[in-house]
Amino acid sequence: MSQETLRIQKISGHAGTVPGEDTQREYTICKLIDTTTCIGCKACEVACMEWNDLPFGETIFGNSYQTMPETRWNYWNLILFNEHEREDGSLMWLMRKNQCMHCAEPGCLAACPSDGAIVQYTNGIVDFQQANCIGCGYCITGCPFDIPKLNPQTKRVFKCTLCTDRVGEGLEPACIKSCPTGCLHFGSKDDMKELAERRAKQLRDHSNYPNAGVYDPQGVGGTSVIYVLHDAANPELYGGLPKDPHIPWSVKLWKGPLKWLGNVAMVGGLIGLFVHYLRFGPKDRDDEEMKAGETKS
Amino acid sequence: MTNGWVDIKNTDMMLIMGGNPAENHPCGFKWAIEAKRTRNAKIISVDPRFTRTSAVADLFCQIRAGADIAFLGGVINYAIENNRIAKDYIVNYTNAAFVVKSDFKLPGDTDGVFSGFDTGKHTYDRASWNYAGAGGAAGAAAPGALPPLPDKVEYDLTLQNPNCVFQLLKKHYSRYTPEMVERITGIPREQFLKAAELYTSIRKDGDLKKVGTIIYAVGWTQHSFGTQIIRTAAMLQLLLGNVGRAGGGVNALRGHSNIQGATDMAGLFDSLPGYLKVPTPADTSFDGWMKRITPTSSKPAPWDSWNYYSNTPKFMVSFLKTMYGDAATKQNEWAFNYLPKVDRDYSWTHLWDDMYRGTVKGMLAFGMNGVAIGPDSNKNIDALKKAEWLVVGEIYPDETSEFWKSPRVIAQGDMKEIQTTVYRLPCAGFAEKDGSFTNSARWLLWKNAAVPLVGDCRLDQGIVAQIFLKVRDLYKKEGGKFSDPILNLTWNYSDRLNPPLAEVLKEMNGKALADLEDPATKQQIKAGQQLPGFSWLKDDGTTACGIWIYAGSFTEAGNQTARRDPSDPSGMGVHPGWGWSWPANRRVLYNRASCDAEGKPWDASRRQVWWNESTQKWVGNDVPDFKADSHPKDHMGPFIMNPEGVGRIFAPLAAFADGPFPEHYEPIESPIVNPLHAGQSTNPMVTRFKDPDDKFGTTKDGFNVVCTTFRLTEHYHYWTKNNPMNVQLVPEPFIEMAAEMADEMGLRGGERVKVSSARGEYIAKAMVTKRIKSMMIDGKKTYQIGIPFHWGYRGIAEDEGKTARDLVNSLTHTATDPNAHTPEFKGFLVKVEKV
Amino acid sequence: MSQSGQLLPHGRVLRYELHERLTHWAAAFSYIYLLLTGLAFYTPWLFWIAVALGGGQISRMLHPWAGLMFFCAVIGMYSMWAKQMRATETDKKWWGAVGHYARNEDDKMPPAGRYNAGQKLLFWGFFWCSLLLLLTGAVLWFPELIPWNLRFLRYTAVLIHPAAALLTIGLFLIHIYMSVFAERGAFGSVIRGDVSVDFAKRYHPGWYDEIAGGSSPPRK
Repeated sequence: MSQETLRIQKISGHAGTVPGEDTQREYTICKLIDTTTCIGCKACEVACMEWNDLPFGETIFGNSYQTMPETRWNYWNLILFNEHEREDGSLMWLMRKNQCMHCAEPGCLAACPSDGAIVQYTNGIVDFQQANCIGCGYCITGCPFDIPKLNPQTKRVFKCTLCTDRVGEGLEPACIKSCPTGCLHFGSKDDMKELAERRAKQLRDHSNYPNAGVYDPQGVGGTSVIYVLHDAANPELYGGLPKDPHIPWSVKLWKGPLKWLGNVAMVGGLIGLFVHYLRFGPKDRDDEEMKAGETKS
Repeated sequence: MTNGWVDIKNTDMMLIMGGNPAENHPCGFKWAIEAKRTRNAKIISVDPRFTRTSAVADLFCQIRAGADIAFLGGVINYAIENNRIAKDYIVNYTNAAFVVKSDFKLPGDTDGVFSGFDTGKHTYDRASWNYAGAGGAAGAAAPGALPPLPDKVEYDLTLQNPNCVFQLLKKHYSRYTPEMVERITGIPREQFLKAAELYTSIRKDGDLKKVGTIIYAVGWTQHSFGTQIIRTAAMLQLLLGNVGRAGGGVNALRGHSNIQGATDMAGLFDSLPGYLKVPTPADTSFDGWMKRITPTSSKPAPWDSWNYYSNTPKFMVSFLKTMYGDAATKQNEWAFNYLPKVDRDYSWTHLWDDMYRGTVKGMLAFGMNGVAIGPDSNKNIDALKKAEWLVVGEIYPDETSEFWKSPRVIAQGDMKEIQTTVYRLPCAGFAEKDGSFTNSARWLLWKNAAVPLVGDCRLDQGIVAQIFLKVRDLYKKEGGKFSDPILNLTWNYSDRLNPPLAEVLKEMNGKALADLEDPATKQQIKAGQQLPGFSWLKDDGTTACGIWIYAGSFTEAGNQTARRDPSDPSGMGVHPGWGWSWPANRRVLYNRASCDAEGKPWDASRRQVWWNESTQKWVGNDVPDFKADSHPKDHMGPFIMNPEGVGRIFAPLAAFADGPFPEHYEPIESPIVNPLHAGQSTNPMVTRFKDPDDKFGTTKDGFNVVCTTFRLTEHYHYWTKNNPMNVQLVPEPFIEMAAEMADEMGLRGGERVKVSSARGEYIAKAMVTKRIKSMMIDGKKTYQIGIPFHWGYRGIAEDEGKTARDLVNSLTHTATDPNAHTPEFKGFLVKVEKV
Repeated sequence: MSQSGQLLPHGRVLRYELHERLTHWAAAFSYIYLLLTGLAFYTPWLFWIAVALGGGQISRMLHPWAGLMFFCAVIGMYSMWAKQMRATETDKKWWGAVGHYARNEDDKMPPAGRYNAGQKLLFWGFFWCSLLLLLTGAVLWFPELIPWNLRFLRYTAVLIHPAAALLTIGLFLIHIYMSVFAERGAFGSVIRGDVSVDFAKRYHPGWYDEIAGGSSPPRK
C-alpha cells in the first residue's frame, strides 16, 4: 500500500499535499501510435473491450467503417476514419486510434471536485477511480479531447486506463499487445519520442509527406500518448484532433482566480461581519440600554 | 506463396493487386509494414476501390475489375521497352531463349485467339504451342493426345530469334501500350506510367540487388481468366528476376486458415495429394498413366534439368500404398484401378449444376455454406430443393442448412413442396480441434485444442470415420458395385472411430515398409520407421506416403510441425525451427535463382543459398531448393519442378487451356467490347451453363455498373454475423459506391439501395465514399461498386429482422475460369436503384 | 398576498403570514443544503462537507434537486413580493444614507416601507442569481448531453455558476447577520410571524404607518 501512495503524484479535489509528489523514480511511460502504419483493423478496440470485460453493445451503420461516432462509457478505444483528398488529387484514408491522451497536465483532474476521483501516477497514467467519482461530469468540460464519458445509469465516468493494471505488472497495454502490424509501440516517453521523431523523419525523407511529424501537445504539458502523423500541421484532419489542446480557459479561471477571489471574499466577509458586531452590536442596543434605565413606557 | 509471410520484410518493392492484405490478412501484413519501416520499401496498390491496403500504400491506381491482365501486360511492355529486365536471369533461368514452333500464332495476328482454335467446337489444338527442337518424350503421346515437348530444345541466347519466347513476348505485349492500358483499365495513362516506372525501378540501370514482390489474393483468382492473371504476374516477376529471391516471388494470400492444406491434400477433383495428376478413362494401365503424367526433360542440350516430377511414379506408388496398404501390389498395378477415373469437369459449379439437374442426390457439407458462397445463390438453393438429402456439419445454423428460409423460397412460396431431408450435425469450432494448419507460406503448424468440446459436438474426423465405417460395414454385409476400394481402404488408427490427427499426419509423412538404405550416404531406415523426406520414396512398394510434399513433416524425431523455436540466425525471416514448411522445410522456393550462374548471390546482403566450392555443395541460410551437389557449371535450372528446369515465360502445350501467354479478355459480363479484338471479346475457353437460373446480363439490358465483391477485416465469411463482437464492429451490410454516383442518383449515405443483376437482387444501405471514383473505360463513363458479402438470412441481426436478408452471391454468375474452375465473383454487371 | 399587516394585541404587529413564512423556509433550507454541498464542490478544503452529508455521490445527486426546489421557492417569493420590492425614491435616498445604517443610526434613515433598499437588493440579487444558477445548473446537471460543438455552454456554465453562487453567498452572509444578529426580533418574524410595534416603527416606519394609519415619527 505504501508503494501505491508514493506512485500517485496528483489527486483531484484534494486538500493539502499529495504523498507521491516529486517522488519520480521510474520513467514516464508512453504509448506511440503511428497513424501512418495503422490499417484500422480494430484489434485494439476488441482487445480493450476484452481486457476490461466491457460488454458488446448496439451499433448502427454510420456511412463509415468507424464502429461508432465517438467513444462511450463502455467503449474506450475507437479508430476514427476520415477520407481526405490532398492537393495533388490523391486520396488519404486517415485512421487514428482515439482514446485518452493521458496528459501531463490533465484538464479532467484539474476540473474534478471530488477527492481522489482522478489520480495521476508518477508514470504519467491518469486514472479515474470510480469509487470516488460523484458523477458531476466536470471532467468532461476539463478535457480538450472529449474523452471522459458518463454512464447515465451509474453516474460514473470512464475512459482508457492505459491498462494501468497491466503496466503495473510490467506488461504492455492490451491494445499494444494486439496490434498486428506493430503500429503501436510502448516504452518510456524518451524512447517513444525518439522512435517517433525518427519515423517522422523517415516519412519526410522517403514518403512524400513533407509535414510528417510527432503530436505531443505542449499545451497540456505533453501527453503519454503520442502520434506520428503524416500531416502534423493539420491534426484536425484526423477526426478532430485539436491543433493546440489545453485546459479550457474557463476551467483555468474557475479553478484559479475565481476560486481564490471567492475564498477571500467569503472568509473576509465572515471576519468583517464578526468585527462589525463587536464594534457596533445589534441595532437596538441603545434601546436596550435605555430600556434598562427606564420605567415601562 | 513461392516465398512466405515473414520473408516479405526483406522486400524493396511490393505490387499488391487483386488482394487487400491490410484488410484480410492484418497479421501477415505486419511484414509488409516491417519492410516499409526498416527498408523504406514501397507499396503500389492497384484495386477497384481505395482499400485499407491503399491507405498505407505509396501509390494507388484505381482499376476496373477484370482489367488486370491489361495492366500487368502494360508493365511487361514498359519493362521491356525501358530495358528494366534482369537479362542474365532470364537468359539462364527462364525459357526466354527457347525457340517456339513456327506455326504458333499470337492473338494479335489472329483476331483474339492463339493458333489452333476450332471456332465450331470451341477447343484449342495446342500442338503448335510447343518449342522447336528435336526428339520427343520416350513415351510418345497416346493417339489423340498432344505431342510431347522436344528433348532438345532449339534456343538463342542472344534473344534475337524472332520466334524465341522473348521476342514473341515482346511482340505480344507491344499492343499493351499506356494508351491501351488506359482504355481497358480506366487508369489514366500518366498514373499507369507512374506505377510501371515505380515497380520496375528496382531494375533501373541494370541493378540486380533490389527485389520486388507481387502479392495477390482472390481479386485475381476470381475471374474467368484468373489463372492467366497470375501467369502474367509470374512472367513479370521472371522478367524482373524476382523469383527465388528473398523479398521477391509470386505470393498468393490464401483466404482461410487451412485452405493451403486443403489444396495440398487435393480437396479438388482434378488432383491427387501433392498436386499429382488424376487418372482419366484413357489411362487403362498404371504404366500408361505414369507415362502420360510423368514429364521428361526438355531443354537446351548443354543445360541440365532435374525435372523432379520425373519421380512421379515414386510419389504415386507410395500414395497408393498409403491408401490401400497390402491390397496395393505390383501385380494388381498398385490398385490404381481403385481410383476414380476423372472423365469430365467435376468442379464446384458443375456439382451444383448436377444437383440442379437431379443427378446428384445429396450432399455432405462440412463447415461450408454452399448457398451463401455461391455463385448464383438462387441456383444453389433451387438445386438443394431438388436434392433428396443434405447433411450439414456446422457450429451454428447457417443459410445452407436452412435454405428453405431464404428470401428466394419465401418469394417462390413453394416451401411445402420441398422434399429434401436435412440433417444437422453439431461440429467443433477451430479452437476445439487439434491438427495442423498449412498457411499461405506453406508452413505446416501444429495446433492444440484450446477448449474442450461442448455438448454433443463431435470432431470432423470422428463424424467422417463413423460414416465411412458404417458404409463399409454395409458393403461387407450387402455387397455393392465395385466394393473393393471401400473394403480395402486402410484404416489402421489406434482409435478407428475417432482417428487422432497426429496419426494421420504420420501417414501423410510416410514410412518405410521394408528396410531401406541410401546408396550415397549409407544411411539406413528400418521397416515401420517414419521417412525423413521424399528423396526416400520408391516406386517398388517399399515406401508408403500419403502426400509426398509433406514427407519430412513427422519424422522419427517427432512432429516437426509442432516445433516452436523462434530463432532466426540469418535475420532473413527463415526461422528454420518454427513449424515445418513443404517441401523439405524450404522457405523460399526456387532459391537457386537467388544466385548468378556461378552460384554467387545477386545481393550479398540477403544471402539465401550459395555454392560452396570447398564442400562442393549448395548451402545457405535456407534449405536449397535444388540438387545439393549440382555444380553451377552444369547449368541445372533452378525451376526443378518444370521439365525444362527453367521458369516458363511461355507455357507450352497442355499447361493452360486458354493460351501459353495471357491475353486480356473481358469479363463475361462486361461494359465494353474488347478493344484489342472485338471479334473475341471474352475468354474463348469459358463455357456457360444453359439452365434457367444461368442468366447473363448486358449493358443493353440496363446493367451498366461494374460490381465486385469483397471482405472486411471485421468479419469472416458468413459465420461472424453470429458473434456479438463482430456484429458490433460492423453491424449492417452495405454497398460501397462513389460519392459522384450517389450525387447523381440523389442518394445519401445510409439510404437503402437495390442492386440487381440478371440473376438476383441485393438490398442494403449505401456507403457513399470518396474511395471509389468514376472511370473512363474505353471512353465510356463507368461506375464500379463494391459489396462486402458477410451477411445472409441467418445471424444475430438477421434473426432480429434488422437486415434485408439477401445474399450477395445471388448476383454472381456461374461461368468459371477454364483452368482452375473458379467463378467470376469480381467483375460482373449490375444496375443500382434507390429503394 | 398580504400587503398590510395586522395590529395584534400586546403591542405586536403581524408581519408575515403563514404561507410567506413557509415559502421563506423552503427557500432557506434548500439554500443551506445547496450552500453546503456547493461549497464542498467548490473547494477541496471543504469537500469533507459532502462526505458528512451522506457522501459525494449522494450530495452530487441531491444538489440539483435541491436547486429545483430552491428555484420554485424563489418563484414563490417572487409572486408574493415582487411588487413590494420595486425600487422607489426612498430607496435611492436610503443608499445615500447607508453609512448611517451600518453604524446602527437608524433614526437617520429615510422611512423604509415594508422592505428597505437593502432587503430589496437581497431579493433581486437572489432572484437573478437563482435564474443564472438554474440555467447554468441545468447544463452542469447533464454535461454529457451537451455535444462537443456546443461545449462553450459548459465552459460558460462552470464560470457563471460559481460566480453567481458566490454573489448569493455574499448576500446570504449579510442577510443572516442582519436577521439573526443585527435586527433582533427579525428572526421571530419568519417563525411566529409577528414583530413588536417598536420593531415596526424603528425599521419599517412607512409600513407601520400604513397599517396603523397616520404617520408617526421614527423612534429614536
